[in-house]
Amino acid sequence: MITLLDIAERTQTGEKVEEKKWDMEFFRTISELINKHGIELPEEHGFINMDDELVERAFEAAIELLEKVGVYCITTRRCVRLSRDEILAGIREAPTEILMGEGSDKRVWKQRKVEEKGKLNICPGHHSPFTEDLAGLIVSNFAQIPRTDFIEGFNFPKIEGREIMGAPMEVYASRRQLGWMREGVSKASRPGLAVVYYPINTRAEDLIGVIDPDYGLRRTDGILLTLLPDLKMEQDMLSAAIVYEEYGCFKLSGSFAIVGGFCGGIEGAIIEGIAKPIACMIAYRDYIHYTGVEHIHMLNGRQMLVPGINWARSVVNQALNRFTHTICMRWVIPTSGPGTELNLLEVAMQSIEAPINGMNLYAPRHCRTTINHGQTPLEAEWMIEVSDAVIDQGFDRPGASELLAKLAKRLENEKPASGYDITECYDLIHHKPMPDYEKAYLSVKSQLTEMGLKL
Amino acid sequence: MEISNLSQEHKGLLDAFRDAIVAIDEDKAREIAENIISETIDPSTAIKYSIADAAIKVGERFDSGEYFLPHLVMAGDLMEAVGAILEKHIPAEKIERKKVIVIGTVQGDMHSVGKNLVATMFKAGGFEVHDMGVDVTSIAFIDKAKEVKADMIALSSLLTTTMPYQKEVIEDLAAMGIRDRFKVMIGGGPVTEVYAHDIGADGYGRDAIEALDEVKKLLI
Repeated sequence: MITLLDIAERTQTGEKVEEKKWDMEFFRTISELINKHGIELPEEHGFINMDDELVERAFEAAIELLEKVGVYCITTRRCVRLSRDEILAGIREAPTEILMGEGSDKRVWKQRKVEEKGKLNICPGHHSPFTEDLAGLIVSNFAQIPRTDFIEGFNFPKIEGREIMGAPMEVYASRRQLGWMREGVSKASRPGLAVVYYPINTRAEDLIGVIDPDYGLRRTDGILLTLLPDLKMEQDMLSAAIVYEEYGCFKLSGSFAIVGGFCGGIEGAIIEGIAKPIACMIAYRDYIHYTGVEHIHMLNGRQMLVPGINWARSVVNQALNRFTHTICMRWVIPTSGPGTELNLLEVAMQSIEAPINGMNLYAPRHCRTTINHGQTPLEAEWMIEVSDAVIDQGFDRPGASELLAKLAKRLENEKPASGYDITECYDLIHHKPMPDYEKAYLSVKSQLTEMGLKL
Repeated sequence: MEISNLSQEHKGLLDAFRDAIVAIDEDKAREIAENIISETIDPSTAIKYSIADAAIKVGERFDSGEYFLPHLVMAGDLMEAVGAILEKHIPAEKIERKKVIVIGTVQGDMHSVGKNLVATMFKAGGFEVHDMGVDVTSIAFIDKAKEVKADMIALSSLLTTTMPYQKEVIEDLAAMGIRDRFKVMIGGGPVTEVYAHDIGADGYGRDAIEALDEVKKLLI
């Protein structure tokens, strides 16, 4: 695979291009590839893709996109070009599983295949802001979930009562984040559990300053290093990738595409959604990705469902699992907040599609999470319960698509509910939902059972 | 805008002008702009009727999922180009000054998608927009706002930990004694209306559509 030093050099020597020109060229190229490869949302698309030939065409379109545009470095405003051979070598040489954690908490996080029957790998949470008074307790609650394979960190607006501003305070806060993570997993009697640093900010000093085998990131832990939308990279992230490649941490990335952005519509998002994790893997050596397609109106909480999005996500993940070693995860991001029936129904929907499309499950949280208002351990336990039931019941693509259609029907006239703060709907001392949330959970469980999912 | 004093033919031309912009048909829009001039239709009317209406319709198409960010960029550029053709024929003293907005993502934050959308919606909405990109310091925002005589500074943040830099801009404006010269609007994933109120921002947009409504309320 092309080395990170090669990538670094190309960020300094590649063709200089204004960002707006890059954006519009990106859109123009994707539009051409949609036509060339006949990528089209079918009228009768359902919720899971069944067309394997379309998946092949979409994959080829993604490779051509990478070959034609490469990756854009926003730090130097230069294009990092990649040859077809370099792209294919990157795909070929990536691992299909990652070892993480230590001792009895050591885990293997694996690539899943479409309709695979084994249980999913699980990251139950964070990637959400919490106040420092709750920090340790929150982490230990998520670590207490037995199926947890790793936990990602969180951010917070203040450290020791002071607003975090500027690199020195960010570095300090980053190290405290890891301190709380270590303390939290130990409290849950899982001292070897892998933790992933969630960047307080994306400056190189923040990303690298958490290395510390005793109190920070161990070599068996991980870090989130994400490519920006429209295949854009940053030199600070690349610097961190170089350091962590030698130190030994695994890396993960947010590698989904956004419908409505410069990739255009659903078809364009499919092509970017396949290309992006491959680009992340080559540029930053990320091997675990939350993948797929999201819609801008869903990310900002305007719409709970957008026709074709689940199908598009399905195409992307099927392509990645068939033709690459990408280890895919579904980032479960409901438009409704925690503490509500709607949140659990949305989480269920995403947890049904994950095992069918070959995805593991990652950090359920409200799409517009605010402080202490993003997630509780119940949503994580619920996504595990739902995905296990899908596997145990032997759902295949058509069956899951039918089940998702019933669930979508239940949600079609609903508006996203804002939900509650974690302490209003979840008892962190006793690790259980508050009575009203418990009631909502039981109601949703019975609704799903009526739809045909045995829970 | 009222155009009942125009002939049916001229009204049709203005409608066709608007439709060409909405369809992002550059050649046709430029041709009709020239026709408007040769037909001696008041170019200010064409700007206020056709371009303003086109901006609303382009926004609606984005909202409905028919148009995407690149369409907004292209429509915004086209409006600027045909607007310039028309403005050449308006006496300088009669050209209405566009409201000016300086926008960017605050210091330490590299996220650009939401900011790009909002900036493009503002531009398509008829505002003069100076997009400063990402990771912009408070002083850079203020210097630019002073330089271009901005009416508003719009600040985006996608990280909880960069939200304080939105507040910093407001505090710096106050410390310089120029807070009342600029409206300040904030937005971004973790930003809420309550936070906007708490830090003394003048406006808040939950998303690009709401942001455009809010900016119209604040500036027009």
